[in-house]
Amino acid sequence: MTLDLNGSTESAARYRGLLEAAPDAMVVVNQDGGIVLLNVQAEKQFGYQRDELLGQKITRIIPEGFAERLIADGTRTAAEALAQQIGMGIELSGRRKDGSEFPIEIMLSPLESAEGILVTAAIRNISVRKQAEKQLAQTEGGRRLMEDSLRESEERYRLLLDGIQSYAIFAMDPGGRVTSWNAGAQRIKGYTADEIIGHNFSCFFPPEDIELGRPEEILRITAANGHHEEQGMRVRKDGSRFSASLTFTALRDPSGNLLGFSEFSHDLSESKESEAKYRGLLEAAPDAMVIVDEAGDIVLLNLQAEKQFGYRRDELLGQKLTRIIPEGFAERLIADGTRTAAEALAQQIGMGIELYGRRRDGREFPIEIMLSPLESAQGILVTAAIRNITARKEAEKNLLRTAEELKQKNDQLQQFAYVASHDLQEPLRMVASYTQLLAKRYVGRLDSDADEFIAYAVDGCNRMQQLILDLLAYSRSGADGKAQRVISTEDVLQEALMNLRAMIEESGAVVTHDSLPTIMSSGSQLGQIFQNLIGNAIKYRSASAPHVNISATKDGAKGWIFAVRDNGMGIEPQYFEKIFVLFQRLHGREEFSGTGIGLAVCKKIVEQLGGTIWVESQPEKGSTFYFSLPERGDK
Amino acid sequence: MESIETGGSSFEILLVEDSPGDVRLTREALRDAKMHINLNVARDGIEAMAFLKREGALSHAPRPSLILLDLNLPKKDGRAVLEEIKNSPDLKSIPIVILTTSLSDEDVLRSYLLHANCYITKPVNLDGFLKVVKSIDNFWLSIVTLPPPAHS
Repeated sequence: MTLDLNGSTESAARYRGLLEAAPDAMVVVNQDGGIVLLNVQAEKQFGYQRDELLGQKITRIIPEGFAERLIADGTRTAAEALAQQIGMGIELSGRRKDGSEFPIEIMLSPLESAEGILVTAAIRNISVRKQAEKQLAQTEGGRRLMEDSLRESEERYRLLLDGIQSYAIFAMDPGGRVTSWNAGAQRIKGYTADEIIGHNFSCFFPPEDIELGRPEEILRITAANGHHEEQGMRVRKDGSRFSASLTFTALRDPSGNLLGFSEFSHDLSESKESEAKYRGLLEAAPDAMVIVDEAGDIVLLNLQAEKQFGYRRDELLGQKLTRIIPEGFAERLIADGTRTAAEALAQQIGMGIELYGRRRDGREFPIEIMLSPLESAQGILVTAAIRNITARKEAEKNLLRTAEELKQKNDQLQQFAYVASHDLQEPLRMVASYTQLLAKRYVGRLDSDADEFIAYAVDGCNRMQQLILDLLAYSRSGADGKAQRVISTEDVLQEALMNLRAMIEESGAVVTHDSLPTIMSSGSQLGQIFQNLIGNAIKYRSASAPHVNISATKDGAKGWIFAVRDNGMGIEPQYFEKIFVLFQRLHGREEFSGTGIGLAVCKKIVEQLGGTIWVESQPEKGSTFYFSLPERGDK
Repeated sequence: MESIETGGSSFEILLVEDSPGDVRLTREALRDAKMHINLNVARDGIEAMAFLKREGALSHAPRPSLILLDLNLPKKDGRAVLEEIKNSPDLKSIPIVILTTSLSDEDVLRSYLLHANCYITKPVNLDGFLKVVKSIDNFWLSIVTLPPPAHS
């Protein structure tokens, strides 16, 4: 469909079309926070009809953080408040009509008008980017990101095609009865499709024109010439009149039989009134906006584009876009053997494309471009909203660097813990062996003080050795976290029980289990978890014989959840978190031996396997330790 | 080098160990052995190879029936010593017991790949250590049939 934008209303229509085609949602707000203007993307993004939002407070769609930024307070005027925010990408949450929220980035700019200073907000849905940031460290992030942006671009393209709001477009049969009706026609003329289809289009004319036979005349002329254009008064459903620009086309089948007519029209009063506003809006748009024709020539640009790229407008108009975006843009829009230019564009719609912009002085800077098509008399134009993302890129780089540093530090620490615990063990082994030898040979041959001193020395060495062994185990745990394979968790449990056999027999414990799954995981690590948890369950028993049960249930979000339930002494709620911390013990050494590392090891292993560990317990009744293991293609 | 004669026809053991504490503990553990054991001690890998190859002043060194080898040694470490012995046609028939503090899987695997005859991690307490040395003594000197003395 091609719309004729010639004539006196050309620039109004073009600016309006530009705003409507803008890939970002754009909303203009007055100083009271009331919405005075918005585009079709804003309707789509937030799920409202335009008239539901006009005159409403901005807090309806951006509940927090927007209005507050623009409010005058003791220290600043509203204008100063706004000035502080200009040009900054502000990340907030948008709320749709259905209540769902999504992350947005807003760029603000002031717009002078008869009503005082208005604020233009270009609102970009950054769900995809947010998700990308979240998945930065994850291995599957890239693939998922691709799928999501693909999905989003298909959706946006569909919305764009559906969303012609600025023009009434409808078809008639040869007699002038309406046969189809678009959203723009409903908006401009006031009838719904149900109300108007089947009625004669003469009802859009003022009574005096009907009397003059104007509707029939138009159909006659159009049938004769194939095409007719005019400007004239029309009447809305509510009786009000408006000046319209109209194009009629005769529709004929291949053999020339008249099938009917189509009418494209738009409300000129709307265009005339709003030309200044739309032009102002485009100029005030916080993103650089450039419109390019199919040959890649720049046909229109705004003030921000001049500023960002350092050119005067007349230096860029008619020039190739490659002058300011040397690579990656034109290539995306070129037709080749496998696709037309329109298909090429369609593939890019709505995707944030990251490229480099080149300033007049030759300096380059990172940009993100959003593309949308704009139909015009010159064919399909491409609107590009260009955002300078230097700051974001810098932040991403910093994030990556920080993550890398953190990883290195962590590796070093792990290495340190291992080396330290191993090297500490060596001299301690000497101390221990020789105090033990001393005890073996000399207890009873010196005096009773000497015997006591030696006993303390031996005891201290034993505890120190256990501590170091456990610490060594802690620092080594998870080292083989990547070696995952398909394992029967029941077999793993049996192995753990074998290792605990002496303890189980000695305590008379009964250990039972439900049916346990076969999963993708690390057997040695899972065995360690079972062994520590079951060992604890038996160790911290109540007066009755210990009974431990192991079970597993599947939870959609978390994967498999394993539970180790006991009838032991239980734990006070205030210690539920503390017990998983390294070296934390709840009991005196005389009551229970132990170094306070076992549960810390469990926590570390579970977390390295991508799960979580927690406890539910009642003192005197028993405890249940739970840990989740995410699914990794288990069988 | 040092050696203790325990008299008569004795088993020659070469202990390659840099820690005097461990040497003494090993000796303590072997004190009650049924056999006469002559414990030869090398403090590092260079000394161990000189002993085995009867170099210089060691031209009359006995050929050991068993080698107890620590992995972490000064100058030439135990892994290199192990490799050299097992690559030597004259020496490779001598059983080598790795006796070390290393718990690393890599050390264990590598030792066996270099044809160590067994790998033992030193127990951290005295009783465990004594038990291990006595087991080595019992197994290698009483139960096992060792290769016949070399012709050389």
